Amino acid sequence: MDAASTAAAAAALATPAPAPAATVQVPRGQVDLIDFIDWTGVECLNQDSSHSIVNALKQSLRDDEGLYLASDSDEQLLIYIPFMQVVKLHSALFKGPEEEGPKTVKLFSNKEHMGFSNVNDYPPSDTLELSSNHLIDNKPLPLKYVKFQNVRSLTIFIEDNQSGSDVSKIHKIALYGTTVDTTNMKDLKKIEEH
Amino acid sequence: MVLEATMICIDNSEWMRNGDYAPSRFQAQTDAVNLICGAKTQSNPENTVGVMTMAGKGVRVLVTPTSDLGKILACMHGLEVGAEANLAAAIQVAQLALKHRQNKRQQQRIIAFIGSPVKYDKKVLETIGKKLKKNNVALDIVDFGESDDEKPEKLEALIAAVNSSDSSHIVHVPPGDNALSDVLLSTPIFTGEEGGSGFAASAAAAAATGASGFEFGVDPNVDPELALSPAALSMEEERGKARGYCKKGCRRYF
Repeated sequence: MDAASTAAAAAALATPAPAPAATVQVPRGQVDLIDFIDWTGVECLNQDSSHSIVNALKQSLRDDEGLYLASDSDEQLLIYIPFMQVVKLHSALFKGPEEEGPKTVKLFSNKEHMGFSNVNDYPPSDTLELSSNHLIDNKPLPLKYVKFQNVRSLTIFIEDNQSGSDVSKIHKIALYGTTVDTTNMKDLKKIEEH
Repeated sequence: MVLEATMICIDNSEWMRNGDYAPSRFQAQTDAVNLICGAKTQSNPENTVGVMTMAGKGVRVLVTPTSDLGKILACMHGLEVGAEANLAAAIQVAQLALKHRQNKRQQQRIIAFIGSPVKYDKKVLETIGKKLKKNNVALDIVDFGESDDEKPEKLEALIAAVNSSDSSHIVHVPPGDNALSDVLLSTPIFTGEEGGSGFAASAAAAAATGASGFEFGVDPNVDPELALSPAALSMEEERGKARGYCKKGCRRYF
């Protein structure tokens, strides 16, 4: 009995405590694609110059709650992220304030240099409707994986925000997936073993 | 040395027949455009410049952004003056022309010469400005020619709406003795943000001292180098650098 109860107690201790707000539950088998972003090509249309895209994307800046990406003339944002190699995109995480955080987010794979005028001409590879819970939760949202198998660049169109205000704010954007090249190497190794 | 694609919008409306800028408003404007094209292509060899009209036969693009200075200067020949300028449509077309530039790394800029009265009200202009800002297009305005009470105000409002970290400028040029191009040489439209290329600086120095009556038209105290070297000048001319500048420069020095 004692052993069982201590075992049970041990088991209870062993189950991880609820993840603290800072750690994101990275989906199994996926990596944070931040290392594969080609920073020289990252662009953001309609951003406020003092609250720029790096605040939402770069490693240390995106976790700082005081730094955020804000829109300028109106609430829409068009973010273009090229990658250094071809990746598969699995899920995405958006964090922002409950009021001005993004609501409708459209993702386009491999569409270079879109503008606000032609963003509605193409069907998005995926559309996310974020609620204010999504913005404070640390769970990345799964995407339509089949549409993101061969991604060289990603365009993120923030169409509107939660409260409909004139300025959209985003604290953090994180993308999770796998690289295509790395997967291939693993396959090769397995073949060699046999 | 900013990498830029520029669209220049020329006002060739009926208002340009007036002679209050020597020899005529239209001619002064053409000289200024030539000078700007030269400066832009000089400051960075990968820069491209395009030209379009706002009036005449309508809003049309004469040459899409190119780095070939000859092509740009050639397209300005035989432009007729007439009709009314359509500023809103012209800015839209300019935006489109810039959007389809070949080198997407270039910054987008529109330079508009506005010599006719502005018939739009402030609100409309501010909306146009916001749309330009949203698409990351800078706007420079040369306000000359007709000046009614509200024109400077309206254009200032337009620039204020477009401006993001001081990339857009407006210059008001009143009619007078100084040529339009001379006045523009010392403005940020010409010199850009980093204070200008050597081309613009030397041209500005010469223009500023042109009326001073010294031998060779150069004040040795202001610019000793320039005073000493007609030879340097002819070298520049030879290299084809100071094309537009020499048109005036030669008259002064020889």
